[in-house]
Amino acid sequence: MARAAATLAPEKGTSLWADAWRRLKRNRLALGGAVLLGLVAVVCFVVPVVLGLDSETTDPANSFHPPDAHYPFGTDNVGRDYLARVLVGGQTSLLIGVAATLASVLIGVFYGSLAGYYGGKVDEVMMRIVDFLYAIPYMFLVILITLQFSKEARGNPLPIFFALGMVQWLTMARIVRGEVLTLKNREFVLAARTVGAGDLRIIFRHILPNILGVVVVYATLTVPAVIILESFLSFLGLGVKLSWGVLVSEGVGVVNPIESHAWLLLLPSLFLALTLFSLNFLGDGLRDALDPRTRR
Amino acid sequence: MRLSSFQGLLLTLAAIGGVFLLVGMPPIQAGFIVLGLALLALPAWFSAPVVRVVGGALLAAVLYLFLRLPLPPALAIVLAAAVGFAAWCYVPPRILRRVCVLVPSMVLLVYVTSLLMYSAPGSPFAQEKAASDQVIAAKRAAWGVPESPTEFFKIYMTRVLEDFDFGPSLTVQGRSVMDLLGPAFPVSMSLGLTALVLACAIGLTLGIRAGLRPNSFADYSSMGLAVIGISLPNFVIGALLLMVFALSLGWLPVAGWGTYSHLLLPALTLALPYAAYIARLSRAGTIEVMQQDFIRTARAKGLSEREIVFKHALKGAILPVVSFLGPAAAGIMTGSFVVETLFGIPGMGHWFVKGAINRDYSVVLGTAIIYFSIVIAFNLLVDMAYAWLDPRVREDL
Amino acid sequence: MVRNLLGILAVFAAALLLVAFTFSATVEERAAFTYVSGSEPKSLDPHIMTGQLEGRIADALFEGLVVRDPRSLRPVPGVAREMPEISEDLKTYTFRLRPEARWTDGSPVTAHDFAWSWRRLQRPDLGAEYAYIHHMIEWAEVYNTYGVQADAIETASEDDTSIFEALEELREAHPGGVEAAAWQSFLAEAEVFQSLKGVGDPVLVEGLARSEGSLSQSELERFQSALRTEGRRRRALFERAEAHYGIDEGMWAEDDHTLVVQLVAPCPYFLDVVAFYSSHPVPRQVVGVQDEEGLYVNEQDWFLPDKIVANGPYRLQRWRVNDRIRLVRSPTYWDAANTKLDTIDALSIENQTTALNLYLTDAADWLPGNYPTDLVDQLEGRPDFYDTRGLGVYYYRFNTTRPPFDDPRVRLAFCMAIDRQLIVDDVMRLGQIPAFHLVPPDLADYGYQRPEGRIRFDPEAARRLLAEAGFPEGRGFPKDVGILFNTSESHKKVAEVVADHLRRNLGVEVTAYNQEWQAYQATTQKLDYWLARAGWIGDYVDPNTFMDMWVTNGGNNQTGWGDPVYDRLVRSAANIDLLVEESESLFARLKEPEQARTLLAAYRDATTDADRAAAGAALRMHCFREGEAILFQDAFPIMPVYYYVWSGLVKPHVRGFYARLDLGGGTEGANLQDIHPLRALWVEK
Repeated sequence: MARAAATLAPEKGTSLWADAWRRLKRNRLALGGAVLLGLVAVVCFVVPVVLGLDSETTDPANSFHPPDAHYPFGTDNVGRDYLARVLVGGQTSLLIGVAATLASVLIGVFYGSLAGYYGGKVDEVMMRIVDFLYAIPYMFLVILITLQFSKEARGNPLPIFFALGMVQWLTMARIVRGEVLTLKNREFVLAARTVGAGDLRIIFRHILPNILGVVVVYATLTVPAVIILESFLSFLGLGVKLSWGVLVSEGVGVVNPIESHAWLLLLPSLFLALTLFSLNFLGDGLRDALDPRTRR
Repeated sequence: MRLSSFQGLLLTLAAIGGVFLLVGMPPIQAGFIVLGLALLALPAWFSAPVVRVVGGALLAAVLYLFLRLPLPPALAIVLAAAVGFAAWCYVPPRILRRVCVLVPSMVLLVYVTSLLMYSAPGSPFAQEKAASDQVIAAKRAAWGVPESPTEFFKIYMTRVLEDFDFGPSLTVQGRSVMDLLGPAFPVSMSLGLTALVLACAIGLTLGIRAGLRPNSFADYSSMGLAVIGISLPNFVIGALLLMVFALSLGWLPVAGWGTYSHLLLPALTLALPYAAYIARLSRAGTIEVMQQDFIRTARAKGLSEREIVFKHALKGAILPVVSFLGPAAAGIMTGSFVVETLFGIPGMGHWFVKGAINRDYSVVLGTAIIYFSIVIAFNLLVDMAYAWLDPRVREDL
Repeated sequence: MVRNLLGILAVFAAALLLVAFTFSATVEERAAFTYVSGSEPKSLDPHIMTGQLEGRIADALFEGLVVRDPRSLRPVPGVAREMPEISEDLKTYTFRLRPEARWTDGSPVTAHDFAWSWRRLQRPDLGAEYAYIHHMIEWAEVYNTYGVQADAIETASEDDTSIFEALEELREAHPGGVEAAAWQSFLAEAEVFQSLKGVGDPVLVEGLARSEGSLSQSELERFQSALRTEGRRRRALFERAEAHYGIDEGMWAEDDHTLVVQLVAPCPYFLDVVAFYSSHPVPRQVVGVQDEEGLYVNEQDWFLPDKIVANGPYRLQRWRVNDRIRLVRSPTYWDAANTKLDTIDALSIENQTTALNLYLTDAADWLPGNYPTDLVDQLEGRPDFYDTRGLGVYYYRFNTTRPPFDDPRVRLAFCMAIDRQLIVDDVMRLGQIPAFHLVPPDLADYGYQRPEGRIRFDPEAARRLLAEAGFPEGRGFPKDVGILFNTSESHKKVAEVVADHLRRNLGVEVTAYNQEWQAYQATTQKLDYWLARAGWIGDYVDPNTFMDMWVTNGGNNQTGWGDPVYDRLVRSAANIDLLVEESESLFARLKEPEQARTLLAAYRDATTDADRAAAGAALRMHCFREGEAILFQDAFPIMPVYYYVWSGLVKPHVRGFYARLDLGGGTEGANLQDIHPLRALWVEK
């Protein structure tokens, strides 16, 4: 899809994306978000490798060690280095966010564009199925899917990608379908059709590049939703082995009038909140920049 | 060769069935699902008169199921038939088409949910000490939960259709699904409504404030505030609110249900993520409206900024929010598990999660049906509100 | 228009809210005593319930023949007027009931109620999980299980063909005799053979144990006819038990106020069992109501507030699911004058932080253990914190059917590679005792001396063992081994530390992973795990409650391990007379056969009942010692970690609460089973 976007409709594309980029640059919050996000990702993926951090080795005698020079983030309830845990947990959370979103984008775009392009009865039936799936409580779907694989997975995030992707594609499908519906009767599509281009070719080479903006916007907003959903699963004890959601839901136990180890909640929460904050603002900024409806 | 859409449908259904068979699903189950999907799809090919007849008949049938419990059967039949006939005559086909889809959807929902439940490891009859096969078999028979999901589906549907009985809970002894969900429903309803109102109030205020001056400090600060709601998991926000207002300041109780003071913190916790979405939607809506020509005209006419905001911006802000309210309401009323656990509230969210986790099949189906009904009901309400707000939509409803 | 809409919506929402809220919320005054019960009770039927939190409420609602004295937890008279009369041979108990005991509907509590209730506990179609707790009573086990087993032999196997048809098929398929391996897998497939373990018929015993060579047609034929006989024998016995158990055999009501109980063999903990909630009486007048077809119409819901009739110090006033259970003082209770609390609220709160917050803001008076375990350090110093050693062991099961854990050396290596002292000192932090055996040390006070075991913390020796088993430095050890635990913060901590110790001390890669309770149970019962966390809390103060779990294919075994010698030891401990006829085949395989022989001789030659009883008790303990020696010198089907400690928070104004028991004469004891009867509590402000 990305390749298609690059090769296709060059004049149109350039002006569209350049235009968007110009608008995005004006939105300092979104830009700040993008920078912060990059920073968090780099820190999570690079620092543990560079410093050789170990998130597994326990040292119960040294548990609940408050942050200091040796342990910048302190240690957790069995004496593991909390810095390592927060960063490695971040890797999983970000991976889950991106992977589940990718899954939802792939399914949603494919499904939505078919429905929108063919329209009529095909559209009606396909959307009816989406409506039907919408009406199944999604949390329950996710729980059942994760239960299904609890033995094989053993804390591995793969089933969670799958489960979350399975519930997130519905909205994507609806949005894409709406966009395709408005685009499919535009001149350039009709032109392509008169030249004798096939349906799939029209969809993938002519229509999709034009709705890429909306897809990107929505995907950016799906990532934080997925990460939050994952933390909810961790709260239920159904999550992965180590992620921000796991750390935060364990850390919530420290909120009580008998003071205790506030860093266990605050540090992962800070990372989580920063990431989600950035993603949300980046998404909003991209929407302002790309979405035709809010386009000036 | 181009396929007609009907041929396409048949082909797709066959393909779906084939895939199910390939991944090892028993033929009966694959058949059932394909059949359900076909029924779901079929009304698209009904012409308006057919839709009227089928929709009216289905409406009458459903109504009869409800009416026959309090009324004598003859009267119930007559009443149901009358309503069905009236629907055939007066209700627009667009709505009747929905009815045609709704009934198979509900049945398919029950079947698919049963399949999912059965495929999860563990059974509602699991106990710590392994029981003999005979004891388990006796329990399965007594509770109407046979080994096969299709058999279970048959028993369940018969029970629902004949007695409107959603079955006994399989894990809370002595309680029916109605006993569990009945008292929880008003609790979730009051919690959800309060949260919804709070979410609208907070979200619209922040969203409109941000949308009136995009990319200004007002925009950034409002949206920053709103986005907090979706930047931290619910349970963290709830715990922090609890820490401040209940434990440090001691203004509100830490947990429980009984007075209005018990309502505030959980409702706020529940509302914040929704407030964030509403703020985002209403901001976009406001921006769009404020760029329209008629605002310029209004300004030129000398309307005060206040009037402009209230007369036009508000409408622009609300329209996108209204369509969000349908799914939001369903989510807010049923998805409050975290808030309920944190604040010790006996609501419905508990059963959505615990039903699945405890493999309480009948509770799971009960919650699925409630969720489904709430989604349908709110979508209908939203459509009506939309039509009322936006005359362009009214014609096609 | 928008403003109108908003106005209408607001009014609508407000009205709806008002209605819904008033409908759902009933403001109640605070109960005289409130405690955090934990999760929602699954049942209040004393015969069905299995949990401690349910039992606590059941003990307030119902009263058994004997109850526990809150200070010492020793059995004292309850519905029984005085302690039972026990026959010289310790096998017959006669309880005389107080004539003034009443049900809440005013009718007297009679011996017939007890006989009926105890019979109900064994009813095969009730499927009570705790039925086995009465199996020391004559005919109880026969009534409870033999009918089902006879059915199983006569009719069902996997696909509903009778087991005899399956046997015929097997014989036809192998005209030249069946290889032992094929035979054993045939046996494993049909569950019916598992209920035959412990059967007396020599043909069946030999057939079931057959693991070498092949079985000829004639052998199979003999096995088949022995099986048929066994089925018929069980059917006949069951029919007899069905006709007589609770009526005139096993236990029965002699008259309205006399209950006679006959035990199979002397049972030192029988009165503990009588005080246990499974022995509570249930109201015959409600539970026993049958429709025309003979179905018990109230069986599933007789304990709900609008139906329940009970005989204990408290009545069930209200039960709001997921909120609270409200108990009020019962005016019809015979000793109502000494029930001090007017109302008790049991809160259903699962979240530990919420539970602690409620306690700390004075919304609850007692928090039995449900606090976040990470806060132990902070809570331990408080004056309202209590802790006491518990009668429970925390351990990991090995799946002994899955390589490499089918090798006892690997199991022992694992057992020796974890530092238990570190786990109790720095992870659990409540002064738990590291466990190297199964039976908790406190049972020593009750006459039990543990044998030497081979488990200790010794990474060097562990590595050597693993190398002997073919995995030097962990090389070649499967990479996918997992440590299963049921979802809980505290289990997670332990499992992660254990995994880390195994990794560091043995060089094996193991992953800790969790499943929620329902899936966890299915997984362990299907033996679909490598290592699985478990805990066992004694039902009564006797080694038997720990030892009888590990008999071959026992419901709580779930390790796939079994040893006929061990099975015989546990069976003999329950009934020493089994040893009198034939003991040498067993004793020859023991670690200390001489001692066993001496004790048996003393038992056999005793001249007085008292001597005989003393020798029998000593021999019984010896059986347990030998059994535990098998577990921890040879087999290691489990990896013990630590013995439990109970702890909690209780407000200082709560009286009648004994974290430490007062055993009289100035001696104190641990409240091993964490029992704090609600009926004994009062509040003094």
